[in-house]
Amino acid sequence: MSWEFLLDQFATQFGLWWVIWPAILLGIVVGILPGFSPQNTLIMLLPLTLSVPVERAMAFMIALYCANHLAGGIPAILVRIPGSGGAAATTLDGYPMTQKGQAQQALVLCFTASVFGGLITTLVTLALLPWLSQLGLYLRSVEMVIVMLFGLTLIAVIAAKDTLKGLIAGFFGLLIGVIGTDHIYNTPRATFGFLELYDGVPLVPALIGLFAISEALVMLEEKMIVDEAGRERALQARWSDTVEGLRMSLQKWWHIVWTAFVGLFIGIVPGAGASIASFVAYQQSRLWSKNPEAYGTGVPEGVIAPESANNGVTSGTLVPTLALGVPGGSTAAVMMIVLQYHGMVMGPRLFATDPGVAYGVFVSMAVAYIFMIFTILPLARYMSRVVLFETSYLAPIIILVTIVAAFGERQYLFDMALALVFGVIGYIAHKTSYHVTAMLIGILLGPLFEQYLVRALRLSEGNLLILFSSPLGNVLWGLLALSLVLPLWRGHRQKKPLVREEG
Amino acid sequence: MGADLVIPALAAAFGAYFFFSIADLAWEAKANGMVIGAILLILVLVQLVRIGMRLRAGDADLGFERLISPRDALPKRIGLVLITIAFIATMHWLGVTLGMLLALFASLWILGVRSRKALVLVPLAVAACVYLLFVAALQSDIPHGPVEWLLEKLLS
Repeated sequence: MSWEFLLDQFATQFGLWWVIWPAILLGIVVGILPGFSPQNTLIMLLPLTLSVPVERAMAFMIALYCANHLAGGIPAILVRIPGSGGAAATTLDGYPMTQKGQAQQALVLCFTASVFGGLITTLVTLALLPWLSQLGLYLRSVEMVIVMLFGLTLIAVIAAKDTLKGLIAGFFGLLIGVIGTDHIYNTPRATFGFLELYDGVPLVPALIGLFAISEALVMLEEKMIVDEAGRERALQARWSDTVEGLRMSLQKWWHIVWTAFVGLFIGIVPGAGASIASFVAYQQSRLWSKNPEAYGTGVPEGVIAPESANNGVTSGTLVPTLALGVPGGSTAAVMMIVLQYHGMVMGPRLFATDPGVAYGVFVSMAVAYIFMIFTILPLARYMSRVVLFETSYLAPIIILVTIVAAFGERQYLFDMALALVFGVIGYIAHKTSYHVTAMLIGILLGPLFEQYLVRALRLSEGNLLILFSSPLGNVLWGLLALSLVLPLWRGHRQKKPLVREEG
Repeated sequence: MGADLVIPALAAAFGAYFFFSIADLAWEAKANGMVIGAILLILVLVQLVRIGMRLRAGDADLGFERLISPRDALPKRIGLVLITIAFIATMHWLGVTLGMLLALFASLWILGVRSRKALVLVPLAVAACVYLLFVAALQSDIPHGPVEWLLEKLLS
């Protein structure tokens, strides 16, 4: 790949601004609304993308996909309702920032972390594509089980205020995630007799119920979601708040970079996805922070880590799609369909036969991110005013609109009722500090964990020692142990001086 | 502490149902569920012991106050949930647009909104947005009712 080729690709993609811009706007709208996934939107737009030249179709789909990943953080920050699973971790510190009257700064942090996280990983992917494409081959079911266990440790760490409650919520979620038919014999388990649950618990109704509906029911306790001081700050929101958000992002530039790489590497693993990446990045950010106890109270790093990782995933997901012909996620699968329709053969040969398309996809992604920052950054000031609405208006609108959105993924009325059930469970969990986020992680990881665990156990004919049989897996075990031990060791170190003082 | 027992009780009940539903299945179908369910039941047991110890020490009682406080918000919450149930149950007949309009009007009313302008304009605006997005733009299979049929006739 020569510089001349690369510059030519960038020039071509910048020339497609008239395709990229509408896709960004559509992606933002779709991303803000929980229940609207980019893959469903792309499926609905297949007649359009199949009828235009492949370069334009890819530019459109890539821009929509990236904008969607970015926009999921907007409702997560403003009203504690993640637009997608990848933004669920953003609620942990984004919403507390809003409650402190720093919604505008939180939004700017979200936008800059998303854009620069996405941009950096896209450029790195572009440079290291031949090597990165091999990474997915090293992660087999054994290693994936351990990666999933990483996710499980988040439950205990995120719910640090009461680890036992966090673990109960997380394992309850894991068990809910196992509902449906098993992967080998297709026999139904714990479906309560509902055919609609044979495919498992759909993620969107669970997300809407646990976050949106439960939050709306809780917010009725107050007249507004921000206190009087926060309201005053929101009323006096100025451009200087946007600048302050930019300054905060610049101060944490290294945080954006390394958490974006967490997203990239997890994105390369087929099936892992943005939801896991953002939680892993949040947990690692907290783990290595000098001030971990501040997480959850509205710290900038708590917004940067999940958002940067969430967008680092976008380029990672496309690596196995293009290089191996294995889609890294459902949106990548839709893109693969479009590419194959246009006669492209996925796999290593694509880079020799159609380098313009293979590398163009990543150039298109970089260009989309550049356009995105100029489109969305000025909107932060106006978006942050959502907090000025009274809860007597916000709560019913959130409940009724998100209930309708729950219909979107599978087009079942059943999913609306399911969202309401999860809403009530989420409300109870919320009021009794059982951490809905831990429950959601469980539901997210449940099916994947089972899939990889059963595959590994079948390979070893039921011998659990297979989980310790790979060198890479053993390194991951070591890191996992470190993730568990380090917070305990830190807690012990912090207690020591207190004991001395008391003495 | 009674409120703290609701989620563990739900989890334990669901765990028991899960074990019952997988009792006769092959090991591949139940291995994961058995492991997770067993850990969950152990965690619930630990929580019960912890709550029991606090009750014994006189640090807590079995009240549900945390779940229902503040009491003045409780009727609003129950009202919203009931309206949402009615919204879902009647969607087949009313369609999403008319259902949204009526449900939002009723919700705003029970939440204490009395401004006539707000009671009319907010439901109208939201219902119009829902119609434009779900019915007109995305053409989803969401139930259609009199408003959707009428607009389809008028626009076709």
